[in-house]
Amino acid sequence: MGIPKFLNIWGTHQFWVGFFQALGVGKVVFSSDTSEEQYRTYGKGRISMDSCYPVKALAGHIGELLQKDINLLFVPMIYSLPSFLRGHVIDSLSCTRVMMSVENIKAGFLRERDEFKERGISFVSPFVPFGEPEILPKYLWESLKEVIPNLSFEETAKAVKEGFNQLEAFEKRMREKSLEIIRWCVRNQRPALLVLARPYHMDPGIGHEIDSEFQAYGYPVLWYNYLPLEDWLLNWLFEEDLRKGFIKSPLDISDVWTSSYSANTNEILWASKFAARFPWITGVIRLSSYECGMDQPTFTPVQRIVESSGTLYFKFGELDETKPAGSVKIRVETIVYYLEKYSKDIIEKKLKRLSPIPKLLVDFSPK
Amino acid sequence: MEVKDIHYRAYRPRPFTKEERPYTTILFGGLTWKHERLIQGSLERMGYKSQPLPQIERIDLDIGKEYIDVGACCPTTFTAGNLARALKTIREREGEDGVKNRYLFVTVGACGPCRFGQYHESYERVLEGMNLREFRIFLLDLLQMEQSAPGGGLEIGMPLTFGFVYAMFLGDLITDMEYATRPYEVVEGQTDKVVRESVEMLYERLKNRPIKGKKLDSLLWHVFTGYFVDVLKEVKRLWDEIEVDRLRVKPRVKITGEFWLQTHEGNGNYNIKRWLEKEGAEVIPPPIAVWMDYLINMELFKLEDSKGFVKRYYLKKFAIGSIAYLYKFLYNRLRKALNNIPNPLPDQRELRELARPYFYYRLTGGEGYMLIGKALHAYKKRYAHMICELSPYGCLPNTMSIGAMAKVLGDYPDLLYAPIEIKGDAEVHAYSRCQMVLTSAKKRAKEEFEEVLERTGLSIEDIRDFEEKHPQIRKATYKIPHYGYAGTASNYVMHIAKLMGKTIRE
Repeated sequence: MGIPKFLNIWGTHQFWVGFFQALGVGKVVFSSDTSEEQYRTYGKGRISMDSCYPVKALAGHIGELLQKDINLLFVPMIYSLPSFLRGHVIDSLSCTRVMMSVENIKAGFLRERDEFKERGISFVSPFVPFGEPEILPKYLWESLKEVIPNLSFEETAKAVKEGFNQLEAFEKRMREKSLEIIRWCVRNQRPALLVLARPYHMDPGIGHEIDSEFQAYGYPVLWYNYLPLEDWLLNWLFEEDLRKGFIKSPLDISDVWTSSYSANTNEILWASKFAARFPWITGVIRLSSYECGMDQPTFTPVQRIVESSGTLYFKFGELDETKPAGSVKIRVETIVYYLEKYSKDIIEKKLKRLSPIPKLLVDFSPK
Repeated sequence: MEVKDIHYRAYRPRPFTKEERPYTTILFGGLTWKHERLIQGSLERMGYKSQPLPQIERIDLDIGKEYIDVGACCPTTFTAGNLARALKTIREREGEDGVKNRYLFVTVGACGPCRFGQYHESYERVLEGMNLREFRIFLLDLLQMEQSAPGGGLEIGMPLTFGFVYAMFLGDLITDMEYATRPYEVVEGQTDKVVRESVEMLYERLKNRPIKGKKLDSLLWHVFTGYFVDVLKEVKRLWDEIEVDRLRVKPRVKITGEFWLQTHEGNGNYNIKRWLEKEGAEVIPPPIAVWMDYLINMELFKLEDSKGFVKRYYLKKFAIGSIAYLYKFLYNRLRKALNNIPNPLPDQRELRELARPYFYYRLTGGEGYMLIGKALHAYKKRYAHMICELSPYGCLPNTMSIGAMAKVLGDYPDLLYAPIEIKGDAEVHAYSRCQMVLTSAKKRAKEEFEEVLERTGLSIEDIRDFEEKHPQIRKATYKIPHYGYAGTASNYVMHIAKLMGKTIRE
């Protein structure tokens, strides 16, 4: 089975690994990371509309997988996401473009002839509402039963559970890792950076590895979607907001964002609040792709949230297929200069707003 | 070192109280002037002072860009700029306190996570930019029958909700009459005059309609009353006076696209509907009522998908199914009062199934499956020669269904489809793209008309003779049945041939 490594597969891939392992699917092949070469070789000429590059890149991923030894191409239409903010927000939907991208890009492989059929590959693209877990097995079963002989609904439902378990375990590990980094910063009085982006900006061909440039200067980089969620930590950071009644829980974002429909947007907003409060995050790096309509309404609120605490905010916007290597290097140098100059003051200033540092953040001994 | 509080908070409007109601004007906008006038009548009936925002102008795009974040789609930019222009005018006239305390703006929220669904964020940028954070903006939920804004000053109960529903229906029906008539009117300008008179008559009736109760009794009255049917019968008499010449061979162009752009009539979409008429086309305008019908049916489809996973499935299905049925029942009853000249609402289930091989119905956002469904519906049933799809540049959902249309066009290469990307400031580009497809549509309309003349054996003179003896056939309110041709002239000739008892060649 081939799965293109695109859009919201970043962030849910562990679900799919667990799901297909539980179903006993022999081998799952992911496409490569996005690259200009992949898009040029396999994707160009299949796009009939203008769009952001993360969506267009799907054509390259599908085209690449068609060259592999697979008999099933699995491209889910992920409608909603399993966000940690569920219950605190209105919904956890995908970007409308992201969820619809499959129908759009698929047409490029079908309009003249059925290229999947020609290669003996079954194309399966189920509707995937992670936000409606009770009904998710039904949608998956209905699309997979045609291509996996004798597949029962019960098996599918069990595999969905397994997928969620695997995804949860993976996220837990990632959040533990973030906490470990945070504790290292506290122990060593070193600043960290937080990346605010969409999950697929982790793809080197989409986010252009801008975060790595900062790591090269010795700055630990945290990602917004894997921040630690320990109660003792969040209660410490959001203590005053809770006391003043601005929010009902530390995961509530209604004080800063009222249209909480989009899972990624909600998490970006929440993480910007986290960054504004957490002393050792002294700089925030915002990544945004060209033409991102989901990011557009958030630019001012996110910048205001971050900067209102004195935290430094830098945006790398309009990212496209070409890596702007030169300009990134120059900007990173400038940003690093500011981080070095102001981080100490920022940490002190932010600490003054908070009650004493929790013991679990300082005295914790790693196993 | 100075330590400040973290101060960024989302915009929250001050409460609007009942005591403020007599001297506070509700501003609203985003629809055609016809719909807005009728909404005004509904609001005034319930004791609210109200005023639509000024008509969208090209300058609104520039004003919008000044205030909101870069990268906004043109509906967001236009409407934000329009609000800013209105507030600026009021401030100049009534001062800072006047605009803050004697006006508020109400708009619809909750259409999901696209730029336009979050446009109130952009409106907030306008308020910040104009230093008017104290000005009040309230969001309404499209699917709530009863709701109120903080403070209790704005109460949307059953009578007002039905007032809005009827305003939408009546605005749509008059718009359909307008576009079906104007291209064929014998006396130039008569249609526009009758449209204005019709809207004013409907406005007065909405403003003076009886209010029967507040809950169930109000619901029952609005469902079963003949009040609006009677008004429309009066309106029909105005339209009876318009003489039309349906022998003008014109391509029928169905407008689809993003909600605001497709329904808009003005500079926001380069006035493209009027432009198409000037270029010799008959336009099929998109009713706003289709959008509400889509939302209701999506609830039904979602429920049907959940069968076996939700409690009280049949009860819920009955409830939503009844709403969907009543909605169409009301619309059709009103259409009938205008001799069914306005188009019926399409069957959402049919649109869903037509689109299904190309676009999955549960992918919501924007028009969802409707763009493909409507295009195929018009093409397969021969209701239009051409589809003109109006999408904002960079529209999140629409660009995706335009992409999916590639396969539709592969399967139906005859389908004339003009996806027009609207930026708001590239008029010539949009017109020229549309013109290319319109040329083919004109050719097709002409060929189709010649085929009908040949099949019926009628000449133009024969038809003119028949018209002279039967003048009622030249009334705008005379209904021409659909004989499987897209063009009005072709169906008209077929109809006359049937009335004359002609044998139609296969």
